[in-house]
Amino acid sequence: MSTVQRDGRPSVNGPGPTVPRLMLGIQLHRLREAAGITPDQAGYEIRASRSKISRMENGQVRFKERDVTDLLTLYGVTDEQTRATLVALAKQANTPGWWSRYGDVMADWFEAYLGLETAASVIRTFELQFVNGLFQTEDYARAVTMLGHTSAPAAEIDRRVSLRLGRQDILTGLNPPQVWSVLDEGALRRPVGGIAVMRAQLKRLAEMARLRHVTIQVVPFSRGGHTAAGGSFTVLRFSQPEVPDVVYIEQLTSALYLDKHEDVDHYMEVVNHLSTEALTPAQSVKFISEIIRDM
Amino acid sequence: MTDVSSSPDEPNATAGTGIDTTVPHSARIWNYWLGGKDNYAVDRAAGDQFSAIYPGIVDIARADRAFLGRVVRYLAGEAGVRQFLDVGTGLPTADNTHEVAQRVVPESRIVYVDNDPLVLAHARALLASSPEGSTHYVDANMADPGKVLQEAARWLDLTQPVGLTFMGVLGHVIDHDEARSIVTGLLEGLPSGSYLAINDSVNTSEELEEALRVYEASGAVPYRTRSVEQFVGYFDGLDLVEPGVVLVDDWRPDPGVGRGPEIPQMGGVGRKK
Repeated sequence: MSTVQRDGRPSVNGPGPTVPRLMLGIQLHRLREAAGITPDQAGYEIRASRSKISRMENGQVRFKERDVTDLLTLYGVTDEQTRATLVALAKQANTPGWWSRYGDVMADWFEAYLGLETAASVIRTFELQFVNGLFQTEDYARAVTMLGHTSAPAAEIDRRVSLRLGRQDILTGLNPPQVWSVLDEGALRRPVGGIAVMRAQLKRLAEMARLRHVTIQVVPFSRGGHTAAGGSFTVLRFSQPEVPDVVYIEQLTSALYLDKHEDVDHYMEVVNHLSTEALTPAQSVKFISEIIRDM
Repeated sequence: MTDVSSSPDEPNATAGTGIDTTVPHSARIWNYWLGGKDNYAVDRAAGDQFSAIYPGIVDIARADRAFLGRVVRYLAGEAGVRQFLDVGTGLPTADNTHEVAQRVVPESRIVYVDNDPLVLAHARALLASSPEGSTHYVDANMADPGKVLQEAARWLDLTQPVGLTFMGVLGHVIDHDEARSIVTGLLEGLPSGSYLAINDSVNTSEELEEALRVYEASGAVPYRTRSVEQFVGYFDGLDLVEPGVVLVDDWRPDPGVGRGPEIPQMGGVGRKK
């Protein structure tokens, strides 16, 4: 199911291709294992390498319909309904996401993140330095973007800011995700873009906290020694029971995605510790108001 | 991982209840049995060990949630209850008390009570109320009914009937007399016309008892079953809602929903005179 707006660009209310890719990958992996077929044999069947099979099963690539039907035949899946369901999933897995028109200013690793973010049902973040992109004002987003792209031409900065703000459409869609953001006090104190920009940003943050599907918690300096020594990260959860949580950690020139149980467990522990250590949502809004007042 | 222990000078921290990820955690194991994702390796291992000895635990987990749904729908609907005091919140899952109640009556007001920091953090973040009603969270130990009532009174009108629910939590009180005094202590603070709803396991399955013994040995917070007589006794002095105190699957089953496998899980609803 993909929805396309009148101007022809995919709508953010559509699920995008990411979760269908993950789901189809999980199914193909299960079916292959059940049939006792190695990745090499499967790769040979569709004229591809074993690493292509592994990328397909990890939901990292587009799917050709013919590859999927050939694999299903190899795995002995003859039930018409099952085959039709998986082929439909392959079609969804190839729908372009709303972000596809930003290819010029977007690294591949960030495109993957946008796919996951758009499809998530719960987004949990810990932010050490900046207010999360989903809550940024345009001025703040511009200031953050300029920190990373000091010599970029103005037009490119505009595109990058517009991409960043485009992500926020998920918050006002029909079926918004629950966003649960824990911020270190430092992210609130650092005057990115100057005092006026920061004051407006903090006001926006306090307004966002009033939304039913948004929770903001602050870890004040006074509750030091908290467990996120590693830095900022995001945990994405999907409503489909078979799709595991994904941890996303942005680095300078790439990003790290973790979806193995032991890795996800570790980050869940950290984000849970932080959430219990932080001020409650109600206390956090008061805390933000006090910072605004003192500026 | 270092354990984050609460320090006594933090106003909303309860001493000694930091998250410990080295022992199985009741709310996280229930989340695992219900097919949720808020559980760690230690919980999944304990949950699997439990179900290897007593496979019916997964049926119990599902039957409990279904019972909670039917009870709250009955209370908000037929019984006309507009306020709920839900003791022992657990980690959010599908059809939490406020969602069921506010689906029937959007103005329903719900107070959740728990003293587990992980449960409270999740509840505050993820259990959002309908715009018409309200949902609040009280950080208190149910063993202190006075404090629970005092906190609940900030959000509920305790001169009007309240639906008081204990879903699978009284078994965590080792001593049955103490469990009874928790129930009577809270009911005393509620007006006539209030309702009490409870479910818990009873001691009619040797496999369940064995699984609980192994579970307790893992260092987790123990859970003790009650005899059928003890369970029924929770409702002494109340008018029982039909069909009385029964196996949970037999309490006002939804039409067309088949009965699950036999499980030693009882439930009932009583009205305060």
